Amino acid sequence: MANNVNVKAVNEDELFTFINNDSIESEKIIAPRYSYWKSVFRVFFRKKTNWVMLGILALLLICTFVIPVFCNYDPNENVTVATMFNQSPVNAMKATGGFSFKWCLGSGQLGNSIFYGIWASARTSLLLAVICAAINMTVGILMGAVWGYSKAVDKVMLVVYSIIANIPYILMISVLVYVIGAGFWSFVFALTITGWVSISYFFRTQVLIIRDREYSLASRCLGTPITRIVSKNILPFLTSVIVTLLATELPSYISMEVFLSFIGVGLSASVPSLGRMIQEAQTAFLSYPWEFWPPVAIASLLTIILYVLGQNLADASDPRTHM
Amino acid sequence: MISSHVRLIASLNKDLIFRCLIDGSGSDPKEKKSAMGKYVLKRIIYSIFSLLVVVWAVMLLVYSLTDRSAIFQTDDVWNKRSNNDRVLYEYTQYSKYGYLEFVNFNNYSKQKWTEVYGEAYDSAKEFVDDKAAIQKTGEAYLDNATVQEFINYYSSKGYNIIRLDTQKYSTGKTKPGGTGYLLAVKERLMIVRLFDYIKGLFTIETTKDVADESLTDRYIRVEKDPYGGPFAVVGSGTTHKYLFYFDSRFPFIHQNWIHLNLGVSFTRFRGQEITSVISEPAGDLKTIRTQYPAQLGTDIYVDTASDFHTLTYNMGELTAAEKEQFNDKYTIATYRRSGLSMLENSFVIGIIATVIEYFIGLPLGILMARKKDSWIDTVGMWYIIFIMAVPSLAYIFMFAAIGTRVFNLPYKFANAEIKVLAYILPTISLALPSIGSLMKWMRRYMIDQMNSDYVKFARAEGLSEKEIYSIHISKNAMIPIVHGIPGTILGCLTGAIVTERVYSVPGVGNLLTQAINSHDNGIIIACTVFYTTLSLISLILGDLLMAKVDPRISFESKGGR
Repeated sequence: MANNVNVKAVNEDELFTFINNDSIESEKIIAPRYSYWKSVFRVFFRKKTNWVMLGILALLLICTFVIPVFCNYDPNENVTVATMFNQSPVNAMKATGGFSFKWCLGSGQLGNSIFYGIWASARTSLLLAVICAAINMTVGILMGAVWGYSKAVDKVMLVVYSIIANIPYILMISVLVYVIGAGFWSFVFALTITGWVSISYFFRTQVLIIRDREYSLASRCLGTPITRIVSKNILPFLTSVIVTLLATELPSYISMEVFLSFIGVGLSASVPSLGRMIQEAQTAFLSYPWEFWPPVAIASLLTIILYVLGQNLADASDPRTHM
Repeated sequence: MISSHVRLIASLNKDLIFRCLIDGSGSDPKEKKSAMGKYVLKRIIYSIFSLLVVVWAVMLLVYSLTDRSAIFQTDDVWNKRSNNDRVLYEYTQYSKYGYLEFVNFNNYSKQKWTEVYGEAYDSAKEFVDDKAAIQKTGEAYLDNATVQEFINYYSSKGYNIIRLDTQKYSTGKTKPGGTGYLLAVKERLMIVRLFDYIKGLFTIETTKDVADESLTDRYIRVEKDPYGGPFAVVGSGTTHKYLFYFDSRFPFIHQNWIHLNLGVSFTRFRGQEITSVISEPAGDLKTIRTQYPAQLGTDIYVDTASDFHTLTYNMGELTAAEKEQFNDKYTIATYRRSGLSMLENSFVIGIIATVIEYFIGLPLGILMARKKDSWIDTVGMWYIIFIMAVPSLAYIFMFAAIGTRVFNLPYKFANAEIKVLAYILPTISLALPSIGSLMKWMRRYMIDQMNSDYVKFARAEGLSEKEIYSIHISKNAMIPIVHGIPGTILGCLTGAIVTERVYSVPGVGNLLTQAINSHDNGIIIACTVFYTTLSLISLILGDLLMAKVDPRISFESKGGR
């Protein structure tokens, strides 16, 4: 902070000197300038593990979104070449003449490249997770805010919630996917049609708690408009809650896709996905481990990193850690 | 999966605690009891309502939006039939599975002429004429009076009249299965289907069940059980002879009085009742040395797998041998089979896993909270993160790989030579992730409690840390955990989807996903009812149990927001 106080020339003999009594300056309150997000990232980057995690995530993202652009993944490219089926990395590279990234993880059931496959699949999974999280979080938070604030909406929504919450989630998604088909967008539809409700409910409770706090009440008594109460009194409080929620939601969609594809109600065969790769390789996971473990590893790595980074960001976004 | 379940329960918890805090607690116990009764009744009514809505919604989705002809993909009978016969078969199956009501003209005319001519109807001229009329091609069949009558009668009742014209080769010969049919078909409304389904869910046997008029002696009474048990409730006129009996098979007490009918399987267990599919063992036949009812007391013994406790009424004529073996017309018995039923398989694995989960998860959670920020806590947190974030499939396969490679345990359930060993890997795969989530919540609740005022007060009073933790903190931290216990135990009945699939356990967890893969709408509906009911019951039980453990919780609903 710049020191605005005028300092007279220091007398060598005296340790203390008089300063001018500036009445305007003395009225100013000097406090360190506080920027919320700056502090969040300061706390966030103080942890070394976050740097490492971010590095790995960046690498994964580059691989996921760059490799499929340059190297087109075609699961059926070797479908007629039976000698390429289920080849270990060493054999696959031998068969195609020397080292290549394409075959560094061996070949799959139909002679497809596992290395290209996992990146194309990871792209699907990530896109799915981001789209579903975006839709569910946006709708959930908006609805939750209204739900928490309006008593009329609360009555209706509680009935809706208690019905939807009673249906086992897996059952509903599987039935929906079974009914409307197994494309990418129908999958998004199945995950979002009721996915926002639980987020909304969680959010409603948070809003309810803060809505009736004393400072909020005082603010309302002083005539602060609702929009200002929401944006200045309530939302800042909920930022860390939102980030925590996001940290669990994002990886959960990746896991959900893997799980649903594994049980056979996931994405259709035309869309490469991690769950599908795992499902196809699972019967022979002891005999052809190179087909099974890479997609599992990528899915696990993605979910763990997203989860840990999200949790750490959530911790950092709690203003109480900014001291 | 796990996280969504836990979150749901946790948020409900918060709501309940929140409400209770507002409601206050200092009311007298009698009032509290009646308030609790009222609350439970309200919850039950509410649960039944939401169950109905859920089942109706799933029926609407499954029955109206899926391709109903998918059930024929694996049907051998359908494959063998051709032309009109195949269409007729389709309608028969659709009506069997409740999609529609349909009447075949042949049956209609048969019934009509039976009334006139009695047993001699099929030689009556009119009947032969009616039959021939349908085989005429074009519009010629409409000249027949019975056909007109049929069409008018069923059109007025809202049926669609469908005419399958006789299919002929150019030579004039009828194609195989190409005979003509006249059908009246009406789609059933979803609300009617729901109503019928709910109505058929429970049946109670009465002495009026057997429609045989020759049976005059009808009763239900307690008798001495000749087949092992101390006594049995025996019925005459009921479908089953033994309504209530004891035997040596788990759970030792059995009844045939009240039947739960979850519906019929469409494709996977074609036409079988789902309740019996999941609750009856499907192993090898088990023969034992026993005696037929009429030969009791003599020295004639027989080795048979028939279980005479399951005798049902035989509507047909008895053979000479049967007359010798049985005193009455209750002659049809089901076979005794070895092994466990699907439900029992899932439950055994689930319940052992649950016990392990609570015995390991809770102490570990408490330890982590006590040694917060020590290496135990760090290791535990990484385990929790791993379990929470990684798809459950990944670590289940990891356990499978380690178990089979390192410990040489059987991988697939059916291949196991020693059956007990086959249960180890599924149980561990089920328990380890649950331990993680239990640890997480226990640690969270403990730490929440550790900062509260009563702990500081207890410390100020001079209680030792051990006393504070074991008496005060764990007791309070257990309250939300207790809420989940009924859900965990009842959840064992629904099985575990991934675990059972990975290890090929013949359990109920796989039922839903296999049903979806084989387009078995009957099982899907049954699963919906089964799962939803269990989750509703466990929520209610959880709330009640929590109120039992925590006297501060009351169910009075006065005031509030």
